[in-house]
Amino acid sequence: MQTETSDAGTLGRIATIARNTFREAIRDRILYNLVAFALLITVAAVILGDLTDGHQARTTVNLGLFAILIFGVFISIFVGVSLVSKEIEKRTLFSIFSKPVSRTEFVIGKYLGLCFTVGVNVLIMGSGVTVALAFVGGLGLLAPAWSAIYLIFLELTIIIAIATLFSTFSSPSLSALLTFLIFIIGHLSSSLRELATGFASGIATIVFETLYFLLPNLGLFTFRTEAANGLMPNSAMLLGGTLYAVVYAIIVLAVAVLIFSRRDFK
Amino acid sequence: MPKNVKQLILVSAIVLFGFGGIYGLSNYIEPRSVRMPEAYQDADLAIRGKSLKGWTLGSEGLLADWYWMWSLQYIGNKIVNSNLEEINLDDLRSLNPKLLHPLLDNAAELDPKFLAVYSYAATVLPAVDAKLAIELTEKGIRENPEAWRLHQYLGYVYWRMKDYENAARVYEEGSRITGAPPFMRQMVAAMKTQGGSRETAREIYLQMRDQAEDQQSRENAELRLLELDALDELGAINAALKAAAERTGKCPASLRQIVPSLREVKLPGGRAFRVDSNGDLADPLGFPYRLTPEDCRASLNETTRIPKQLD
Repeated sequence: MQTETSDAGTLGRIATIARNTFREAIRDRILYNLVAFALLITVAAVILGDLTDGHQARTTVNLGLFAILIFGVFISIFVGVSLVSKEIEKRTLFSIFSKPVSRTEFVIGKYLGLCFTVGVNVLIMGSGVTVALAFVGGLGLLAPAWSAIYLIFLELTIIIAIATLFSTFSSPSLSALLTFLIFIIGHLSSSLRELATGFASGIATIVFETLYFLLPNLGLFTFRTEAANGLMPNSAMLLGGTLYAVVYAIIVLAVAVLIFSRRDFK
Repeated sequence: MPKNVKQLILVSAIVLFGFGGIYGLSNYIEPRSVRMPEAYQDADLAIRGKSLKGWTLGSEGLLADWYWMWSLQYIGNKIVNSNLEEINLDDLRSLNPKLLHPLLDNAAELDPKFLAVYSYAATVLPAVDAKLAIELTEKGIRENPEAWRLHQYLGYVYWRMKDYENAARVYEEGSRITGAPPFMRQMVAAMKTQGGSRETAREIYLQMRDQAEDQQSRENAELRLLELDALDELGAINAALKAAAERTGKCPASLRQIVPSLREVKLPGGRAFRVDSNGDLADPLGFPYRLTPEDCRASLNETTRIPKQLD
């Protein structure tokens, strides 16, 4: 660990690292994906009328939310996994640590910076969905769609935390693969629980139950189909989901900090 | 205490208490989440197969497969989730399977050569809407004029509707197609002379079982064949019951009493009556037949999977 610093200074340094991470992501043309998203959503809004038999708004929400998730996941994974490795590769890590910045502050700052980057992305893409909905006359689905977008963002904050964890000890390609696998498994974790209840063996049940709680339950943030059908998430989903994402990210980042603190960069 | 040990303890505490919180949160959120109602899976299909052509970048077949698999899962899940003690294979309307036709229609639109779709439409869809089943199978015949099997399926649909005239016509058309097996011609005669007979039914289901391209159609045909076997057995059992009642002036107390008299009875195909470990007469699946003393008649046990609709 680096030199202990005051709390106010810690927050300031975390904010600086987060800001720099955001600027760097912008410089790396991360926001270019928005062009692809804009094209997709425009094409969907204009052309889907013929395809969907009058269900344009619903399909716009389905497609828009799916695209937000996929674009968000790809940004989270591919930027997240190179958060640390890039700094080592460019040897900028040494100049950062020559200043009074602790490794804990570095990891948290990087994480928050990427969360902010992804948040801005999600916000712009969400606005795109709003415009598309206005175009197809489906503004009635706006509130459910934005609730679902908020849940997608929460899901992405967990993915970013996991990508950050892997980036502290693994190569970018392996980290990307592992994070993507956790993203997939996270969406199937409810099935793990169902599977656990079906086993006659008590040990198998315990193993699968444990896996269910250890892996992120991303199904808790899945509300796309429901939103496209005009349903609104309740407070248990929104507040509980927020708390879940925060707690899970803290756990993962704590482990990331522990690993990163023990790494020798000489 | 060294700094790294302190850090390890802190992180361990975060992980431990964190997962404690995750455990509680998971259990709190999951049962309270807003989810689509059960009936959501029956909502109308948003996309028409016809409109999708050209948009799949040449992967129409793949999408047809997807619709096909969806239709199989759809009916399978409906049956599994229905919790009904007995599924009436001839009338699945109580399951509200209103997506079955659009799903199969989309699959057929995307891949008109997908014969399994028409086979499924002919064997399962009549239990929902016979008219739509005929329309879809006729569409299959138009798209696949060389497929005699589709005529067999359509003939089956007409036969189930007791429309023996149309069934004979369709079997005849099918029998003229190159490669059509001789039984297609036999079916023409059977429909014209004894459309409603048990022998005709047995022949139809035997062909369907042996040529089914999907598991559900095959199982359906197998159950029907078992039902026909049970009907043969019940016919003989009831005749024996009637004879015993006439002879003694009262209905036998149990079916065990007529077992000796059934030893002389010849069942179709040389089959013998089944007697379970308790000495009771059992149906082809091993469930004991039930005797109703009031009318002195035997019938299928309620717990058996054998359908009770053909008679």
